[in-house]
Amino acid sequence: MTALWKNNRGLLIITAIVVVLMAGLLQSLEPKVWMSIMLSGATLAALYFLVASGLSLIFGLMDVLNFAHGVLFVLGAYVGLSTFMNPRLLFNTLPFFFVLVAAITVAQHFGRIFWRRIGTERGRRVATAALLLLAAAVLFLALRGFPIRALNAFNITAVGGAVTTAEAQEPMATMLRRVTMVLLAGLPIGLLLAPKQTKDELPLRPVWQTLLIAGVAVVIGYALLLVRDPGETFMLAMSTDVRFVLAIILGTVAGALAGVGIETALIRPFYGNPVTQLVLTLGLSIAGIDLIEAIWGEEGNPPMSPPSLFAANCRSDSLLGWFSEHCQSIDVLGRAFPTYRLFIIVVGILVFIAVGVLLRRTRIGMIIRAGVQDSEMVQALGINVRRVFTFVFALGSALAAMGGVIAAPYLGVFPAMGGIFQLQAFIAVVIGGMGSYVGAAVGTIILGLARAFGDHFVAAGINVPFLDTVIKGSPAIARASTVLIMAIVLLVKPAGIFGKKE
Amino acid sequence: MAASPSPTPTPANVLEVRDIHTDIGQFHILDGVSVDVPEGSITVLLGRNGAGKTTTLKSIIGLTPPRSGAVALRGREIQGEPAYRIAARGIGYVPEHRAIFRALSVEENLRIAERKPGDLSRRGDFIFGIFPDLKRLIKLPGGNLSGGQQQMLAVARALVPENGLLLIDEPSEGLAPVIIEQMMEAIRQLSAHTTVLLVEQNFIMASQLADRYTIIETGRSVKSGRMADLVKDEETITRYLGAA
Repeated sequence: MTALWKNNRGLLIITAIVVVLMAGLLQSLEPKVWMSIMLSGATLAALYFLVASGLSLIFGLMDVLNFAHGVLFVLGAYVGLSTFMNPRLLFNTLPFFFVLVAAITVAQHFGRIFWRRIGTERGRRVATAALLLLAAAVLFLALRGFPIRALNAFNITAVGGAVTTAEAQEPMATMLRRVTMVLLAGLPIGLLLAPKQTKDELPLRPVWQTLLIAGVAVVIGYALLLVRDPGETFMLAMSTDVRFVLAIILGTVAGALAGVGIETALIRPFYGNPVTQLVLTLGLSIAGIDLIEAIWGEEGNPPMSPPSLFAANCRSDSLLGWFSEHCQSIDVLGRAFPTYRLFIIVVGILVFIAVGVLLRRTRIGMIIRAGVQDSEMVQALGINVRRVFTFVFALGSALAAMGGVIAAPYLGVFPAMGGIFQLQAFIAVVIGGMGSYVGAAVGTIILGLARAFGDHFVAAGINVPFLDTVIKGSPAIARASTVLIMAIVLLVKPAGIFGKKE
Repeated sequence: MAASPSPTPTPANVLEVRDIHTDIGQFHILDGVSVDVPEGSITVLLGRNGAGKTTTLKSIIGLTPPRSGAVALRGREIQGEPAYRIAARGIGYVPEHRAIFRALSVEENLRIAERKPGDLSRRGDFIFGIFPDLKRLIKLPGGNLSGGQQQMLAVARALVPENGLLLIDEPSEGLAPVIIEQMMEAIRQLSAHTTVLLVEQNFIMASQLADRYTIIETGRSVKSGRMADLVKDEETITRYLGAA
């Protein structure tokens, strides 16, 4: 009996929770109400999962608690929103990133020669300070007075095709000057990022690869700027479905790139120094939100209108009906449920399966699972684990950003949205067991359902048997319920449901 | 006490460790270790607990890079390179405590060590010839294996790519006598194909397996030579290895 309990604690806990939910169904809820609560819970769970899975993988493999994960969620949401509603913003800002990447790539490649020329430690320190100043000065000159707020004002008005106005975007000549200056600012930044020691970790990329990457990035950067007017018209003429897919792709890519940037700049130099990493990601979680507010404003946006697949003003009887009608809601046991939320659930399940297949069936997945246990040993087999670290950080960041994009039509887009999701994701990961992928999924399902049922019982109250009164909880209890669940799980199983004791 | 290895007359050394000093945190663990590992030999590192044998292996593979001194693999200095690149130069590392991947199946534990696709299928017959049990267990999770089987798997994993040198840390640790016999036989077999640097506390096992030895005492290599000479030298054995 004790052995059974010990070996299957995780499963038994889940079973117990399911039994309680079923009991709740039998006692006080009509099936249709129960079903819609379950679906609401699953919607939340899917979004929590997109944030929590990355957190869990990153912690499992690298022992890094990434407090900046919520920022990536918000970043994804805003990039998605801009792609969907305000392509003009993209055409006027993306070129900066492309040319910056190009310049950094080139300067980083040839930076070794630069640092080798400067023989002394003192000389290197002076050069570092000078380059930092130079980069900051050029960037400041390049971006001074950039009308980011005016560009943003088009978020709402652009729906359905906005008229190009002269105030929102600067004349092409000004923009070309700015982009070129950002290109120049990238050179000192690249030098700063170049390895300063002769014996370094990263093998030198062939020159042609560096030049190819940089060349393509420069061309794309300038091309985006030059086609900004026809490009915007073209994008706004697309169907909202296509644009939404584009929003998901761009949001996810932005998350992945930001993840690579965070890992390279803030995490990689400090492996073996977890407190520094923690403080840096914590700092970034604040500074990142400030940066997002600086670009997109503090006010926040109402929920983005869902793409037309989920927007027709009607109620479908079944999924089959929805395929032809594209209704905004669907009949579930006699109650309407928004189809877009079903889409969120489906995305959550698909991502769970896709990442699961990646972990189980691919070589890199095998390396990740091995590295979660012992990354030193993986290294000693001749595998460059640091590169896998970067990949996992990018993957986790991409998933969080994707979560932000698909949350945008459901929750709206506002700077604080990341904080909420990050906290819940942390709780889910702790419940499921830090570093366990399946644990993250189970933890998010538990939290999503707890939240949905909690909200329902706060609103409707609980009918206690043999008593006439209806007990109503306060909203605070619904919010606190997730933390209570975490406390209970940790009391029973300190490492979380699927956690391994080390 | 001069810490110079005796000159090796015959075959060339696969590995030469020259006066390495290694710190872990603020502790000086190695304070002048030199080891020669001749081609085709089994060389064993002897010494009491905490003498620095494990750290010597880790310094060679690059997990605890030496602060000074040199590690030369076939004449080429490799110290200071990241561990993954040192390993890729053809060094297989079998750490102590059977560090296999518990969540991975036996097959995955072997496959992860591939450096070129197909390494495992090329070398499978050789590996399963030495460790026939593993073939039967191929689908099981590594964590479900017994201690002896895990140790076999850890050694087998190091054989998947063609490594010219194996570093094996305490293969007999915590194993039953019957299993130790099997393990010794396995190491004997694989040493026909590759050079081995072994750490072994079990002196009987070490003396039966090894051609050469180096004794490490509080972070220094103090004596090295032929195993055949050491077994006759009771004074050295008592002095550095305790009652043997």
